[in-house]
Amino acid sequence: MIFDPNVILNHLPEIISGIGVTLALWIAGMAVGVALGFVVATARRYGGRVIDWPLGLAVEVLRGTPFLIQIFLAYYGGPFIGISLDPVPCGLMCLSIYAAAYYSEVFRAGYGAVPHGHVEAGECLGLNRFQIIRRILLPEMALIVLPPSVNLAVILLKESAVLSIITVPELTTTVSAIGSQEYAFLEAIFLLAVIYWVIVEAAARLGRLAETRLSTFRFAAS
Amino acid sequence: MSFKLFTLLVQASVWTIGISAISIAIGFLIAIGLSAALLSGRRAYRRPAEFFISFFRGVPLLVQLLLIYNLLPFIGLNVPSIVAAIIGMSLCTAAYQAENLRGGFESVPKGLVEAADMVGFSPRQVFVRIKVPIAMRLTFPALVNEAIMILKSSSLVSVVGIVEITRMAQDLASSTYMPIEIFSAAALIYLVICWSVALAGRYGERALPGAVK
Amino acid sequence: MTLPAISVSKLVKRFGTTTVLQDIDLEIPEGKVSCLIGPSGSGKSTLLRCLAFLEEASEGMITVNGEALGFFENAKGVRERLPAGQIRSVRAQIGMVFQQFNLWPHMTALGNVSEALKTVHKVAKTEAEDRAMIQLRKVGLENRAGHYPSQLSGGQQQRVAIARALALSPKIMLFDEPTSALDPELTGEVLNVMRDLAVEGMTMVVVSHEIGFAATVGQQISFLDQGRLLFTGAPSDVFAKPRHPRLEQFLDTYLDRGASMLA
Repeated sequence: MIFDPNVILNHLPEIISGIGVTLALWIAGMAVGVALGFVVATARRYGGRVIDWPLGLAVEVLRGTPFLIQIFLAYYGGPFIGISLDPVPCGLMCLSIYAAAYYSEVFRAGYGAVPHGHVEAGECLGLNRFQIIRRILLPEMALIVLPPSVNLAVILLKESAVLSIITVPELTTTVSAIGSQEYAFLEAIFLLAVIYWVIVEAAARLGRLAETRLSTFRFAAS
Repeated sequence: MSFKLFTLLVQASVWTIGISAISIAIGFLIAIGLSAALLSGRRAYRRPAEFFISFFRGVPLLVQLLLIYNLLPFIGLNVPSIVAAIIGMSLCTAAYQAENLRGGFESVPKGLVEAADMVGFSPRQVFVRIKVPIAMRLTFPALVNEAIMILKSSSLVSVVGIVEITRMAQDLASSTYMPIEIFSAAALIYLVICWSVALAGRYGERALPGAVK
Repeated sequence: MTLPAISVSKLVKRFGTTTVLQDIDLEIPEGKVSCLIGPSGSGKSTLLRCLAFLEEASEGMITVNGEALGFFENAKGVRERLPAGQIRSVRAQIGMVFQQFNLWPHMTALGNVSEALKTVHKVAKTEAEDRAMIQLRKVGLENRAGHYPSQLSGGQQQRVAIARALALSPKIMLFDEPTSALDPELTGEVLNVMRDLAVEGMTMVVVSHEIGFAATVGQQISFLDQGRLLFTGAPSDVFAKPRHPRLEQFLDTYLDRGASMLA
């Protein structure tokens, strides 16, 4: 393997744009996933069996099937039911829904981990349900859900590489295209691995930093 | 969708299950070595193991598969793509399983080891009779989760041309123009496999000696 | 006077820079029940763990029936560590009962009690299990032999743990707060087993908050406070007319809590 650094330098703008698309999809997917996941978890907790059951089934289906199959279903199956989406919106939609399924489980576990007595104490003092969520459950959950959320964020970042299979112009698509074009596929994949590794390590470290900050804040406050 | 198409998908699931099972088993063996290195306390062993784990947990499996698929011929190993796929999946799951095992061994309560010390166990007996069985019990649920993750991730070996469920579904979908039916059927098969593993895992957990029933 | 079962001299234990035990001199008489009492953090559990060699003393010497435990003084008077085999053989005379029971969760009650006979002493399985059953019967749990620890109550678990220690025929039994992790209504069954052992003449060292047990079963009471051994004597001396102000204060707390049998 003769590695020619000029190959990278010549294609630097494309690589950076690929990184940009990956990061943008990742952050947008997570933002929607966290919000939707929270709504799903809350609806399942308070909505009674009629809401809990179908949502639970949907979550289990999304968690029990490969992301790739979900993408294929949406991308190739969508047009047959009148939803023709371009790769980018289709990929973003899939990533968001996939993220929401997993985040809803994180929040559900978070709800479950808050001692019931704390909720009862709030009820006895006359707080309503919204106030209990807002003032008691959410702050207590924050610390509990942070570590699994960070884990999940890293998993989603890596999962976004699968979007290259439906030609979303993200990092994997971009760099492997450069590799084919320059007849340096192995070098390109190697570079790709290193880029992901760096981003994932950075994200994981940032997450750990947030955990330490939040936990010291909590212990100092209590 | 005809029964014949569904049968083809079910037949392809043999590959999905086979590749996953072999990768989990090989990965487990590698993970034992890795976790031993992590717990050895020796920097010369620990550092390479940490490096390995960080890499294989930090790079998307798809990229790992492409890397190994292209790297093996480059270093003169012309192996069938199925072997490349199994190597890639094994290395990836080894990294995750090694972390599980390390956590399991570290979580063996100190008092149980002290109790063994008090009745005269040698360090080797403590390891074989107490630490290993308890660490296995502690890591069992994580191992089941990992098996499910690998079953789903195995859909990615379709990119190196192995006709498992996902690849079969792709081929059938493009030849029949029935992507919704085909991919839904594929999803259903994955669900059945994953739920079966989860169910078996829960049963196995309860069947472990001394489990809380 | 006979040789003491355990003799401790000039024992010091430090964790890092904190000294948790300071100049402990103590003799544990053979065939009697010795109790270590004192407030939380006084070092009584650490002292007991030193006697089991689960903690290594920083200074000083411990002998068990005349044999050095863990360390010995060589001809030049320098403290040296003994080889692991030697430590194991001295420790074989000692049985230990832990606060958290520490039963192995993957073995049945019978498995827990017979395990060391099989793996350490290479006794045949059937004989090991027969001998284990004798011990389980002694603690009243022969009908729970096939149960796993998770299927037993705390009191039952602790009785299995006592049987496990007894199965190796120790000469001395150490109890580290054996009832502290139990619900109040379950302490009785464990204390009864310990009483029976005391009647049989087992040498016992008990760290406990059960002042009632110490007062009625204990034959030698040692009071520790802030890492020092302040007082050792017969129960009648300790409980009838408290002398040391710290001991008096400590006992007051317990009397306040309703241990009125001592008043």
